[in-house]
Amino acid sequence: MNDATPARGMLRLLRAILGRSYPRIIGANRDKSWLFYDTVLPLLGTIAFVYVYKALGAPERFVGYVIMGGATVAFWMNVMWSMAAQFYWDKQGGNLELYMVVPCGIPAILLGMSFGGFVGTVIRAIAIVAIGSLLFDVHYTVSQWPVFLLVFGVAIVGLYGLGVTFASLFLLWGREAWHMANLFMEPVFFLSGFYFPVRALGFWAGMGASLIPLTLALDAMRQLLFPGTHPPFLPLGTELGILGALAISFIVLARFLLRKMEYLARREGRLSLRF
Amino acid sequence: MEAADRLRPESAFASWWRTVRVAYWLGWQVESNWTDPLLFFIYSIARPLGGALILVFMYFVVSRGGRGDMLGFFLVGSAFWPFVIAGMMGMAWGIISDREHWKTLKYVYTSPISYRAYLVGRSLAQATSATAATAITLLFGRWVLQIPLHLSSMDIPYALVAFALGITSIMALGFVVVSAAMSISGEAWRMPEGVGAALYLICGAIFPVTVLPAVLQDLAQAIPLTWWLEAMRRGLLGAGGLRSFPWSSDLQVLAIFAAVTAVWVAGGVLVFSYAEQRARALGILDRESGY
Repeated sequence: MNDATPARGMLRLLRAILGRSYPRIIGANRDKSWLFYDTVLPLLGTIAFVYVYKALGAPERFVGYVIMGGATVAFWMNVMWSMAAQFYWDKQGGNLELYMVVPCGIPAILLGMSFGGFVGTVIRAIAIVAIGSLLFDVHYTVSQWPVFLLVFGVAIVGLYGLGVTFASLFLLWGREAWHMANLFMEPVFFLSGFYFPVRALGFWAGMGASLIPLTLALDAMRQLLFPGTHPPFLPLGTELGILGALAISFIVLARFLLRKMEYLARREGRLSLRF
Repeated sequence: MEAADRLRPESAFASWWRTVRVAYWLGWQVESNWTDPLLFFIYSIARPLGGALILVFMYFVVSRGGRGDMLGFFLVGSAFWPFVIAGMMGMAWGIISDREHWKTLKYVYTSPISYRAYLVGRSLAQATSATAATAITLLFGRWVLQIPLHLSSMDIPYALVAFALGITSIMALGFVVVSAAMSISGEAWRMPEGVGAALYLICGAIFPVTVLPAVLQDLAQAIPLTWWLEAMRRGLLGAGGLRSFPWSSDLQVLAIFAAVTAVWVAGGVLVFSYAEQRARALGILDRESGY
């Protein structure tokens, strides 16, 4: 089939997803500064927290917690800056209007952003874990690889579902979008237990923080990486069940909010409002 | 004001000071007028407080609820770090946003003002936005964590001198980062964050520099922020706290800090002058680095 042939249905959707993910997977790797910043920045913060645990004389698994937290930061930053706040950048660059008029619709664009963002980030996250573990000689014992991968996969679906939900909310905003994405950094790192077991927050605070899929995902993966030593927040099966429910809920919520916010943004004329 | 008064030449200092004041006002508006004061206040304190709470919980998880000198070390470092982010990184983001987002750099630069004074004003406005976070973090430490931040044991004059020197050193570092931002051809907006993250690691912001490898300890001593945070801890926590430089007295710390700051101020001005001249010569002063 000729590339210029208009595609329909699933083929159109797939083309749009691949087209939007292309700049994130291939394009981003052409500019080496992105590779540097996306890998080295989370790594610098990670190393700083590793030294905090070293200064406190903490056991080795805490260093492992921090390295996992550093890799998770890469995902969270990708979701907040390249999913949630992406439409803000697209407004600045004039792309948002184009997305609105192409026949594939916004959901396909967002799916492409998610897929491309995930592939790009997973490479950086692996680099962070590998470099961090080599630097500080951390060893992991993955007791159940299939369960580990299942937890990771479900968490990623939930996380990018949350990203699409935020993206639809941010569609209405101008500068607030940038500031809000900025706001959801350290407070989320804290509430989700990026650098310490979430159990330390207490049951109810931990349950509240569990609305962010990374909270339970990190705890579940730590249970699998440090069996017998990590203090679990909830039993592994329960965490996996809640993660699955969150993933479905965020997908449904994202779909609803996207329609609602797109309508509001069109009605209030905010789609091309730059500032 | 009469027309004749407006035409009368100002002294260099008066012009410089007026530019700082107006740039400060402008910077404050850019920083804060996107929302209402309450949300801006919450926004200002949420990130730094979140950062401090991460450290506090890391500490409690390891110490199992016990308390010690390290808690005060964490808290003071976390409380004052927002000034570095806002003042130093904010100065760089100021020029980048003027250049690439608001597209006003060319108009500001060609107006009859000192561009250095303009940058100082913008940076001070950013630094002001860090004040609330610092105050809340210190109050949280004093009243919730029971850290010995007592007025009776503080050396207030020492802390004030250290603070003034600290703001000066942050500006000096800001000029160096701005100089780099002028020269970088791609994605300059991410560079200040990278510098901030590197400084966070090596300046003893959240752990004593004695924990670092020897080569990084030497590097840390060449950066004024290391001495600033050490001096603030000595001024606020009193005697007996954990030290990054246990071999030095309080006065030695302040003297070395002043000397290192002076070197960085001179270096910052020189580097900025070079970067500015180079950017003008190459025609890249207004070049956009993002896409």
